[in-house]
Amino acid sequence: MARQSKISLPEEELVRALKSREKIAMEALYDMYSASLYGVISRVIVETGVAEDVLQDTFVKIWHSFSSYDAEKGRLFTWMVNIARNLAIDKLRSKDYKNQNKNQDIDNTVTIIDEQRNSVYKPELVGVKELVETLKPEQKAILDLVYFKGYTHVEAADELGVPLGTIKTRLRMAVQQLRKHFN
Amino acid sequence: MEDIKAYIESGILELYVLGDVTPAEKLQVEEMALKHPAIKAELGEIERSMELYAESNAVEPPGHLRERILNSVLTNFADDRNFNKANTKIVQDNIVALPVQTSYNFYKYAFAACLALLLASSIALVTLYNKLQDSNTRIAALQTDKQHFANRVNLMDHEMSVFRDPAFKFMKLKGTTHAPSAALMVAWNPVNKKVMIDMGSMKMPANDKEHQYQLWALVAGKPVDLGVFDMNSDTTDMKEMKSIASANAFAVTLEPRGGSVSPTMDKMMVIGQF
Repeated sequence: MARQSKISLPEEELVRALKSREKIAMEALYDMYSASLYGVISRVIVETGVAEDVLQDTFVKIWHSFSSYDAEKGRLFTWMVNIARNLAIDKLRSKDYKNQNKNQDIDNTVTIIDEQRNSVYKPELVGVKELVETLKPEQKAILDLVYFKGYTHVEAADELGVPLGTIKTRLRMAVQQLRKHFN
Repeated sequence: MEDIKAYIESGILELYVLGDVTPAEKLQVEEMALKHPAIKAELGEIERSMELYAESNAVEPPGHLRERILNSVLTNFADDRNFNKANTKIVQDNIVALPVQTSYNFYKYAFAACLALLLASSIALVTLYNKLQDSNTRIAALQTDKQHFANRVNLMDHEMSVFRDPAFKFMKLKGTTHAPSAALMVAWNPVNKKVMIDMGSMKMPANDKEHQYQLWALVAGKPVDLGVFDMNSDTTDMKEMKSIASANAFAVTLEPRGGSVSPTMDKMMVIGQF
């Protein structure tokens, strides 16, 4: 990427620095995770400007409520991605956002769709091709609905028209495939 | 052990990592993870996989967003630390160069200076006012003096005119046996009938409160009253007496206060004849 001096720290070091509210930790956190978090947010919210606002809200909330993060209960990213996803879904369901969507005129629609496509199919995304091959389509569908779109597995079962038990199994299988892939 | 395996395979751990569990389920998973290292290890694996999956699907946010977001975190929590050297400088510059502080000080000092000036002016004004009052008093006193002298000069001019007027006749009345050292200067103008006595050069024994000196003119042997006077050493003026057209002699007798109709001859003090 264009930015050469991205800051990166081991997770334990990063957590310790964030707890003692060091500014370098916040910069490292941004450099290490902003793209992953933005990936999740921009799959929930397609408008670039709104997605950027949600990313900002996410980092503000992470900084503000960092004392509630417990490293014993899970990885830092798991905690952060839940914050990001929840803020994005809240935004999606908010009155403001719905009104804004209604007011978009037809001329802008094409541009917006292009932007959406860009944000979803970034060419520089690493390993997407292999992942697509690794995951069966039905596994990827359920995983993306829950992980990226914030569906509950109950909602996903409705959406995909499959039984709840099947959903859970597929989800587990999908994660197992990912584990294999990344190992 | 079988229970743990079944628990792992139920898929609840995946849902936990995906944030799709009820609060009760969440507590249960955390409790199980604490008790069983196998569950904790499984959770860690799932988390790591999902993190890598998210990384694979990462979308790089626009470059300008980094500074905006880091600064908004700073602003939101009023943290005095900043994320950018250049920005830190700007913020510090702002604090140092804040014009409000300068003008606050300026007005503070200006106000103090105004107060001091007002105080000094008031003192000066009071002092000057007092001096002015003093001067006015002196001027009034000098004018009174000047008036007094002018009056006096007028009076003396008037007296001098007596001596300058050739129509005036002067006579020195000399002491009789009653008062050998007594003397009185009388000036008489037969033209305008004025009679005056010189109080300055008068030498008469002092009279008491019951008596006064009376001036007489002898006209064809008969005494005519010309008025009374006191022996007053304070006065140096010419005293104007009653008028008379013709006289052979002037005399002064000592009479009861207010004067008598006819002179008491045995109390005659001075006399003078033409």
